[in-house]
Amino acid sequence: MVEPRASRLLRPETLTALGIIAVAAAFLIPALELRANSALLPVAMLIGLIVLATVLLISDQRKAAAGHVSKPMTKAPGRVAGAFLLVIAYVVATSLIGFYPATIITVPLVAHVFGYRSFFGLAAATLIVVGAIYLVFDYAMAQQFPTGLLLGR
Amino acid sequence: MYSELLHALPEVLTFANFMAVIVGVVAGIVVGAMPGLSATMAISVLVPFTFGMSPLVALGLMAGIYNGAMYGGAIPAVLLRIPGTPAAVATTFDGYPMAQKGQGGFALQVAVVSSSIGGIASAIALMVLAPPLSRVTLLFGPSEVFWVAIFGLASIIFLLGGNPVKGLISACFGVFVSVIGSDPIFGNDRFTFGQLEMLDGINIVILLVGLYALPPVIDLLEVPLKTDGVNGSKLGTEPIWRALPRMKRFWKTWIRSSIIGIWIGILPGAGGSMAAFMSYNEARRASRTPDTWGNGEPEGVAAAETANNADTASALIPALTLGIPGTAVAAVMLGGLLIHGLQPGPMLFRENPDIVFGFMWQFLFGAILLVLLGGSLATNSFARLLNLPRPLLGSVIIVLMLIGVYSIHGRMFDVYLMLLFGAIGYVMDKLKFPLPPVVLGLILGGFAEENLRLALRIGRGDWSILFANVTSLVIVALTVAVIVGPMIKRLLSKDGKTAEGN
Repeated sequence: MVEPRASRLLRPETLTALGIIAVAAAFLIPALELRANSALLPVAMLIGLIVLATVLLISDQRKAAAGHVSKPMTKAPGRVAGAFLLVIAYVVATSLIGFYPATIITVPLVAHVFGYRSFFGLAAATLIVVGAIYLVFDYAMAQQFPTGLLLGR
Repeated sequence: MYSELLHALPEVLTFANFMAVIVGVVAGIVVGAMPGLSATMAISVLVPFTFGMSPLVALGLMAGIYNGAMYGGAIPAVLLRIPGTPAAVATTFDGYPMAQKGQGGFALQVAVVSSSIGGIASAIALMVLAPPLSRVTLLFGPSEVFWVAIFGLASIIFLLGGNPVKGLISACFGVFVSVIGSDPIFGNDRFTFGQLEMLDGINIVILLVGLYALPPVIDLLEVPLKTDGVNGSKLGTEPIWRALPRMKRFWKTWIRSSIIGIWIGILPGAGGSMAAFMSYNEARRASRTPDTWGNGEPEGVAAAETANNADTASALIPALTLGIPGTAVAAVMLGGLLIHGLQPGPMLFRENPDIVFGFMWQFLFGAILLVLLGGSLATNSFARLLNLPRPLLGSVIIVLMLIGVYSIHGRMFDVYLMLLFGAIGYVMDKLKFPLPPVVLGLILGGFAEENLRLALRIGRGDWSILFANVTSLVIVALTVAVIVGPMIKRLLSKDGKTAEGN
């Protein structure tokens, strides 16, 4: 089975190769403004990335033309996107409302969203994790955690 | 040369340093027993937490985790036919059939004793081979060091197998990340885009956690494994001392598999899986009853587990002496050394003998402790860990990642950067771009650049200085061999197949 031309460009390896070429080309602009010795290695690496990504792009498109159908990157794209979004939301929440409130929300939320539904298990796990972090890092090691832009001073 | 090895022994036997190994082994077994988690991931998450520790405590934890995880992978491999770590795949071949016959406990005891023997052999190889090799590398100047860095990158790209173009892209990416920050000679900013946080460059721990810890967590949440139902009390485990006489007949396999594991460990890019497969095949070939293999032959478990533990410490021989890690875990361990200000290479042996030789002892003790800590009672308990809910585990690891990366400099910028590397690592992992060249590129990139520019300064801009002496030429020849060798091998095997087809 040969892929249609439009979907050939949406193959994961092709998209990745195009992404690498675009990002490496964008970095080349500031790299070329550096002093010659300072630019030597970065420029070599960026040109290397562009050349290698082009080779990857051509070989992937050849495979597509030969009828090779690319495998999807993930088995459950929705779950992967959800997992990434929750991790990003946790980091943003830590910046905004502080480490402890964000962690108290995130530990049970992530576990619940991804299939662990025992109320007592979630409550116990949250208590143990947050309590252990407080005792080990905050109390024993005097580690400072973000207090949050909204709630912190 | 070896007297420093004995001098380091009392240092390792202090309470804190010895406890670190014990904690590391237990933690490693736990991590290894969890399908989806690996020693590489565990050490990546651990590294930032070791900032405040003394180097030997940190290294003891790492050595313990590495040893423990290699055995821990056998627990789900035997009980569920799910290898806890990639290196435990070969253990499933005979371990799982043994468990089905009600010999799961004995299979795990064979695994723990064999892992321990492999680990001890590997630690001894590290102690014997690393010191003389480090002496040779003391003779290297800037141009030789530059070529060693290139050789390291080339060997990990081309000996790793898979697509060399992807390996090269990974390495270029790693080297590019290494140049971000202030120029080491002129001091001008490179690719910092006005961010003060990036002036000192990208901390290797941020890259390690992003690349090695975030993708497995996403995998953990993507496909929740249902592994409940393992009942540790029904394993049929007896005390190890009672099981030992039944293992006496494996002595040849232990020796053969240890040698294979050590050799594979030294080769850059090979790793525990290859060691276990090769060792399993060789042991089966040497067996008088090869037909019983695959149906619950304990010697099969012994072969796989000895080899995958025998490649642990030996992978550090090129890592400690040349800065070229043999495996992904060794690459992460190099990162751990670097954050404690320990630059792998010949100077490490001269400037910090207590630490480097102490680290070797810790590997040996970690391997010995495996039998004591992974005995029958512990194995039953570790087997129960398989019942832990994956989503809960995933959420806890996410929190640990944030704490670890935040604690490096106490700033959220690093955490966002880790997320970026995590996303890149996830795509790379799914598209089979190898990750070790990225880490090695970051470690060796700056090193290679500094020495290249130093060599060019000495040669007043003349590039021929890079080829001016015999040592440089030998390393260049080795680099070419590493690049061309696999290509010739591939061509020859293609020709062979074509000839067979005709």
